[in-house]
Amino acid sequence: MNTPEKPVPPVNSWTAPYWEAARKGKLIIQKCRDCQKYIFYPRMSCPFCFSDRIEWVQSSGRGTVYTYTIVRNNAPSAFLADMPYVVAVVRLEEGVQMMTNVVGCAPEEVHCDMPVEVIFEKLTEEITLPKFKPVKK
Amino acid sequence: MESIKDKVAIVGMGCTKFGENWDLSLNDMVIEAVYEACEDAGISPGDIQAVWFGSYWSGVPAPSQPLATTLKLDYKPVTRLENMCATASDALRQAAYAVASGACDIALAVGAEKLKDSGYSGLPTDELAMGLTSTALNTFRSRMFTAPGHFAMMATSYFNRYGLSPEEGRMMLAKIMVKNHKNGTLSPKAHFRREITVEQVLNAPIIAWPLGLLDCCGVSDGAAAAILVRGELARNFRPDPVYIKALQVAVGPQEGYMNPRHDWTMVKETYRAGAAAYAEAGVKNPREEISMAEVHDCFSITEAVIYEDLQFTRRGGAREEIEAGTFELNGKLPVNMDGGLKCFGHPIGATGLRMVYELYKQIQGKAGPRQVKNPGLGLAHNLGGTPGGATVSVIIVGPK
Ligand SMILES: [Zn+2]
Repeated sequence: MNTPEKPVPPVNSWTAPYWEAARKGKLIIQKCRDCQKYIFYPRMSCPFCFSDRIEWVQSSGRGTVYTYTIVRNNAPSAFLADMPYVVAVVRLEEGVQMMTNVVGCAPEEVHCDMPVEVIFEKLTEEITLPKFKPVKK
Repeated sequence: MESIKDKVAIVGMGCTKFGENWDLSLNDMVIEAVYEACEDAGISPGDIQAVWFGSYWSGVPAPSQPLATTLKLDYKPVTRLENMCATASDALRQAAYAVASGACDIALAVGAEKLKDSGYSGLPTDELAMGLTSTALNTFRSRMFTAPGHFAMMATSYFNRYGLSPEEGRMMLAKIMVKNHKNGTLSPKAHFRREITVEQVLNAPIIAWPLGLLDCCGVSDGAAAAILVRGELARNFRPDPVYIKALQVAVGPQEGYMNPRHDWTMVKETYRAGAAAYAEAGVKNPREEISMAEVHDCFSITEAVIYEDLQFTRRGGAREEIEAGTFELNGKLPVNMDGGLKCFGHPIGATGLRMVYELYKQIQGKAGPRQVKNPGLGLAHNLGGTPGGATVSVIIVGPK
């Protein structure tokens, strides 16, 4: 049997800066120069005003858990070895949301509104994934 | 915009037993459901003038010719369609519009799905996720995300919003599943026909916390069919036709997964489709005017949120209604009288018509031990997709 591998995000022209920053341990998101709104996930133009004057800005990397689940069973995949693991929607301080994992604590310790901060996990030479861990008090 | 209300009637319906139908092919199930519907309507299959056939995966590609051959409908118009979990409901909708337009007098809506042979478990494998449930090339939307995972996040968010501890929340959800299983014991065509207890639900293996195995509906095979005619002709076929009052579909913008404005404690598509259906049917107060509902209980939390999205109760009101027994078979507004997806499983292309089959039998007073007293308007609800990106159908039927 083939050993299943985790899917690797495809990189394209407008997502490349995001992955390049992640490789260097930085979380960047987009901001519209016209309407000033923060944007995530990466786009070619602003989803609010359709401007293409978009810049990359550094996120504070801090946010809170909006919602989450603890995966304890799954279909055969490379993720089985990680179970149980937390899949969460994290709301960054800038107001955008991302689907991610909360790591660095027992799954049972995760709760909605929990303060978290970004950490980085290397997946391949090219791809490093931003994940989140609880903020130490 | 005109309303469909009373323009089209259902004069015959059929439904196979849902379950692990290893000994029946897709077409065997279609024949069983369609022949039952024709016999019920007092017509022969040759009287059918046009067909809308719903299937999600089964028979794809191009299942319409095999279906026409199977039913000996040579040279008649047969269309296969797909609209996620609302596939069968949309087959009914298309057939109803054709009849209402006068394009045909007798139309067949049929939905069928054969899942068990495929090995489909409800959780996407790599290939399924990549090929069918991913959002194409969008690298940042969920790719490998399972349905239980998505609905689990809805549950977590719901508990948090309404101040329920995980224990309180899971208990609330367990009671919904216990209700549906109790109803399922009275449904000869259901897949799962055993009662379950709250303790069994709470102690079942966790799939995606806080949802356990018994918070999830099953996977099964099945088919269901309806014969539709124009409203004014309906009594030529039978004394107790069931009239269509509303047919609404709402497809969301698929933004919820990462849109900070998206509220994970509701499914806006359900609210919108429900509100549109109430307007079309002339329903002002759903809680008082809808006498029963078959809803898309793919997961326990889904049914809880549906109560609120369909305005059967206020936001956050699900728990107290469940405690009061509002949605039980003998309650004020019975929901999933036949046991729902929980007991029938979810053969995707058949489910919507299976729900309407139950409403139809209830309205005709033929639901046996499940019979609701004095049934009036019945509502069928399907939710395709997940919170944050859903395709929802709401159908209302009733006596004249
Ligand atoms: Zn803008």
